[in-house]
Amino acid sequence: MTRYSRRRALITGTAVGGAAIGLMLSIPAIGFVISPLFQARRNSWVRVTTLESVPLETPTPFTVSVPIDQGPPGEPVDRVVYVVRRRSGRVYVLSNTCSHMQCNVHWDPKLGASGQFLCPCHGGLYDITGLNVGGPPPSPLPPWRHRISTLPDGSRLLEIENQYAENV
Amino acid sequence: MAVLRFLARPLSRRLRSGYGWVDERAGTTSMLHKGLYEAVPKRGGWAYALGSATLALILLQLFTGIFLLLDYVPSFNQAFDSLHYLETSDRFGSWVRGMHLWGAYVLILVIGLHMLRTFLSASYKRPRELNWVSGAVLFFLTLGLAITGAMLPMDNAGYWTAVVVTNIPHYIPFIGDGIRSLWRGSDFVGPVTLTRTFGIHIWVLPFLLFALIGGHLMLLRRHGEFGSWVNYQTDTDDPEREITERILKAEPPYPTKRTGRRWAAPRDTVDFFPDQIFKDIVISVVLIAVIFVMGYIAGAPLDERADPATLTYVPTPEWFYLPLDQMLLLYPSNYLILVGGLGLVGIGATLLTLLPFLDRSHARAPLRRPEVIIPGLLLALAVVMLAVLGANRLFNL
Repeated sequence: MTRYSRRRALITGTAVGGAAIGLMLSIPAIGFVISPLFQARRNSWVRVTTLESVPLETPTPFTVSVPIDQGPPGEPVDRVVYVVRRRSGRVYVLSNTCSHMQCNVHWDPKLGASGQFLCPCHGGLYDITGLNVGGPPPSPLPPWRHRISTLPDGSRLLEIENQYAENV
Repeated sequence: MAVLRFLARPLSRRLRSGYGWVDERAGTTSMLHKGLYEAVPKRGGWAYALGSATLALILLQLFTGIFLLLDYVPSFNQAFDSLHYLETSDRFGSWVRGMHLWGAYVLILVIGLHMLRTFLSASYKRPRELNWVSGAVLFFLTLGLAITGAMLPMDNAGYWTAVVVTNIPHYIPFIGDGIRSLWRGSDFVGPVTLTRTFGIHIWVLPFLLFALIGGHLMLLRRHGEFGSWVNYQTDTDDPEREITERILKAEPPYPTKRTGRRWAAPRDTVDFFPDQIFKDIVISVVLIAVIFVMGYIAGAPLDERADPATLTYVPTPEWFYLPLDQMLLLYPSNYLILVGGLGLVGIGATLLTLLPFLDRSHARAPLRRPEVIIPGLLLALAVVMLAVLGANRLFNL
């Protein structure tokens, strides 16, 4: 009987020790892996253009250097900002990231009645306002988070932040 | 004195007694014998060589991968430069990189053939179910290695592969965006994405792969190579007696335990060494020669430096992902991508892995189990069709 309980105690001790090692290894490891989920965003406003320089009714691409929101401090990365000025006065500031698989869409004036955005990966189509009108994309082109301010000379300055206004 | 006596002997005797010393302590000879003298079914040895070819090609990937690791810089800004240098200034470096890519191509093809052979011959039936399950998981790990490897160059092809592939979890409800952020390091592909994918490619997946290969081989040695139904035919008037005799004089690892008497021991066997290993080496030499030559002639492409702001670059998937890519065309809207894309592929992968538990009949000959062979071949045909459609679409762009 004494032998049995000694054996039992050793087995329990081994199991507890193993579990303790597992716990000590997994807490920092899991925390390390999931840390990006809790990282503070390092966002800043970046100048795109003045609205006066964007032609009416023509989606115009601008390449903007924005800080990368991850990893050690590094060089900024280029992003595409499509600016669309409608005659009505509405302004659309669209990313060229397809809402389907995040490929790079571009404006093709020959598509549709008066041009469409085309995604080369799977043929997704969007109208001039970024609304998905054909192919597999499930939602519109993501708009950039942006702000428009009036400069002293009266021109209107467009700036974006390096994240989309909605989740894609 | 003992040293002088040892040195005074002729060289051949010195070597022999030196080996004897090691063998006495390490048991090398019995280990070698155990590894080399194992019965294998006599007929069909060329088909079994596909399995050893898979192992040889995986070891080749490890070998060429180690050399790439000596030059490649896993940094978002320098990865491309390091490979550009390799391609333009290092004749042998670009050759090794070419062999790593062509090795992956040939490996995926050979794994496909190995699985097809196992499927047609019903080698996965009791007691070899876990051989199949571990093999299926090994196949998925290999595909994971292939796709993570494709991201590392950080040229346009690698960058856009990273964007599309790390976006796939997005379609999983509730936790999808979290998984994507963990992999990418934030909402976008960037430096953290590269280091994480690099770590997954060179340590996480290979570690799992080699551990599972160990298990796969252990199972193979435990139950022996099944071969195919032709190895179990009887040709006398008294099949029962013939099978009994066969089981009585079977050499290890036969008779296979936990299977019907009929499938316990093949009619004729040969030793793994040298009968089977010769066939294995012939197939491996041919395949590695193809990789050796293609790695030099065709090499591995390197696009322009990754440009996240490109408006002209057309991302195209690697050929082995064409069927999946083409399937994405078929499902508009979020809901259908989830069900059609992830759901169907997930169900397909699960069914493939669990094949031994779906095909419960005792029959082994392909023609005697049409209920499994026909859906299997139709599925394979559908995958090939999707690949052809996808290739056709990409060529017409």
